[in-house]
Amino acid sequence: MIKVLFFGPVADRIQTREMSFEATPGITVSDIIARIAAQHPGALDMVSFIAVNQEQVQDRQTLLRDGDEVALMAKFSGG
Amino acid sequence: MTTPVRIQQADFSQDEEIAALKASSTRMGGIATFLGCARDFSDGRSVSEISFEAYGSMALAEMNKLRNEAIARFGLLDARIVHRVTTVQAGDNIVFIAAGAEHRAAAFDGCRWMIDELKQRVPIWKKEITPEGEAWVTQHP
Repeated sequence: MIKVLFFGPVADRIQTREMSFEATPGITVSDIIARIAAQHPGALDMVSFIAVNQEQVQDRQTLLRDGDEVALMAKFSGG
Repeated sequence: MTTPVRIQQADFSQDEEIAALKASSTRMGGIATFLGCARDFSDGRSVSEISFEAYGSMALAEMNKLRNEAIARFGLLDARIVHRVTTVQAGDNIVFIAAGAEHRAAAFDGCRWMIDELKQRVPIWKKEITPEGEAWVTQHP
């Protein structure tokens, strides 16, 4: 399975903190985003940063594998 | 002795952090620190509390990278970064950064760089609780 995490403003908008998706061959970050957006229209509009296994990724075509942890995150506001 | 990079609920002691920094090297001649604390207003509204949330594992990893990069980039002798993730009220401490170097310039530059980078790179979010309601802050001035 692929675990998708939401925090702060994104978690509030989507009303959950975690989702799981089956790790089908060739599945990408973009595929996951499209599936979530279909279920929750507009909920990911504020996503500015994506991380896979705690590392930021720029390319939404990044391939995902079983056991990966994806985070879809709004702009940070710590400090 | 506490570790130099931490995310914690509890308040921190600046004196203890500075003492730990000093203990790392007797060559240290300059220490610059930044203390971020909670304001009671934002964008013209009064703020009663600020609540923080973090992607803990990634935030800690990024803060460790930041410290290592700052030490290498500015030739620091040591550095510390502590961020609270909890609900705070006006005046409460939020974040503490300390940079120790042989001379003041590197300490000032390293300290400034770490807090600026932290705001851009570390996955922590703040929610302001006001008399009119709650709102996540999504910019980092």
